[in-house]
Amino acid sequence: MRRIASRTVYTVIVLVLSSIAVFYAIRLSGGDALAARLPASATAEQREAFRELIGLNDAIYVQYFDYVGRLVTGDLGNSLTNNASISAMLVEHGRNSLILGVASFFLVFAIGVPLGILASVRRNTWTDGGIMSFSVAAMAVPNFWLALLGVWLFASTLRLLPSAGCCSPRQLVLPAVVLAMEGIALTVRMTRSAMLENLSQDFVRTLRAGGLSELRIVGKHVFRNALVPVISLAGLRIGQIVGYALVVETIFGWPGLGQVLVNAVLRRDYPVAQFFSLVLITVVVLSNWLADIGYTLANPRLRRT
Amino acid sequence: MTPWKRTLERMRRNKLLLFGTLLGAVVLGAGILGPEISGVNYTAQNFQNVHLPPGSEGHLLGTDGLGRDLAVRMFVGIRISLLVAAGVTLLALVAGIILGMIAGYLRGKTDRVIGGVVDFVWGFPLILVAVLFAGGFGEGLFPVILAVGLVNTAAIARVVRGEVLGLSEREFVEAARAGGYSRTRIMARHILPNILAPALVLASYYVAVAVIAEAALAFIGLGAQPPLPSLGQMVGDGRNFLRVNHWESTVPGIAIVLLVLSVSLIGDGLRDVFDPRLRHEAKGVAEK
Repeated sequence: MRRIASRTVYTVIVLVLSSIAVFYAIRLSGGDALAARLPASATAEQREAFRELIGLNDAIYVQYFDYVGRLVTGDLGNSLTNNASISAMLVEHGRNSLILGVASFFLVFAIGVPLGILASVRRNTWTDGGIMSFSVAAMAVPNFWLALLGVWLFASTLRLLPSAGCCSPRQLVLPAVVLAMEGIALTVRMTRSAMLENLSQDFVRTLRAGGLSELRIVGKHVFRNALVPVISLAGLRIGQIVGYALVVETIFGWPGLGQVLVNAVLRRDYPVAQFFSLVLITVVVLSNWLADIGYTLANPRLRRT
Repeated sequence: MTPWKRTLERMRRNKLLLFGTLLGAVVLGAGILGPEISGVNYTAQNFQNVHLPPGSEGHLLGTDGLGRDLAVRMFVGIRISLLVAAGVTLLALVAGIILGMIAGYLRGKTDRVIGGVVDFVWGFPLILVAVLFAGGFGEGLFPVILAVGLVNTAAIARVVRGEVLGLSEREFVEAARAGGYSRTRIMARHILPNILAPALVLASYYVAVAVIAEAALAFIGLGAQPPLPSLGQMVGDGRNFLRVNHWESTVPGIAIVLLVLSVSLIGDGLRDVFDPRLRHEAKGVAEK
């Protein structure tokens, strides 16, 4: 329990520090220099407002608390490129990202775990070899290239799926699969090695000697033990999905948080970039915290300390 | 046999390493010599010859939408990928070894502070860090190298710290301490040589990570800026012409895969030769 408490304190500290880091990073480059780099579409008032926002008047810590205060009250300001309200963007794009993220998170385990089990049960056969080669290949191919191959094959050539857009189920298939691919590969490997480790344990020999059917041994006893490390590290997969979403959403024109952040950075829309940086950082830090807790709960030795 | 000879012998017999090195040599050779041998200017445009397929006259791999030679752009792109990878790996190795060694040897408060920062950085998805850096510093190769270098530094520091914790309990370090040598000397002369092999093996993994990250960032427009041809950016440019001439994306895409494959094979091979124990660490890397 102490470990969980200390990780929680650490997580809170990290969140505060990274909000300060993001805040400073935008201001350190100098306000005027930044105002000059605003998008061409920004009006004179917006430029003035931005100068005011990153404040050449107040002390920087005053501005920080100011900003945090506005975050808490939900006054997030507007985009410099299309004047859209940032809080409305959060709701809309957050929902899109959630759909894509949950879909690929589901695929990671729904495909990765069964394949890993199959590979471990059929160890050193062609099935195992095929699954493991697939997992190696899925990790070596960069996901943006996989995305292109998918578009080329399923959209351009076979015309089975749309190549981009949001948010029908058919449009979801390609981005969700591409986003999940590396997670699937890792889950296959982890499941397989966890299964093999458990299959070679003494208790399995005892069960076999006791005359239990192989299906029951694997399905009930080994599987449950092997799943613990896989599930306990699920939090890490969330962080990974957030990272790759930046690329995958941009490729497929999926209007989620990742695409918003990348576009804001490319168009130098600083208020948007600052806020969505904070959002994604928070998601990553919290999912790492979840992974930490899951890992602690799954390992009795850590749980006691 | 001396330990060195034995290591060389094992390297010679390792098939992964052999194949990876051969493949790597071909890709490296193409990157270094390709632009010089072909003598073609990678920015030269020709609007009479756009979207040519491979095998066209004068353009072995065809041309892109501006009539630029794909082969020479791919060679230069490989060069840039390797440059970024080299910069990142050098940064990560030096900073990672120093930080990990200090944290692992001094322990106590120093360890907690360095460890906290390293854990924090390591927990971040690479692409997100790079996008944040691009937001702060603007687009280009520099923020990419810095961001990827930072995350890889954390990864190497974690492993080095663990190794050093174990080493500093060993008799030969104890003996050096008893001999009254300074901490710096013990770290540099007694500990460093023993962590160099695992650190190098790990670094070879992160070369592949760096290549993929640079390509992905260039693809979404945050890496090398035109007219510099980065492989990821070429794949991105070509995707608008998939139906016209898919080779504009396929050629640089294959180059990336070959590059990553050769580096990963070399990494796997080196791991087997130097430190079979690291199999476990490699799993940790993959879990990220």
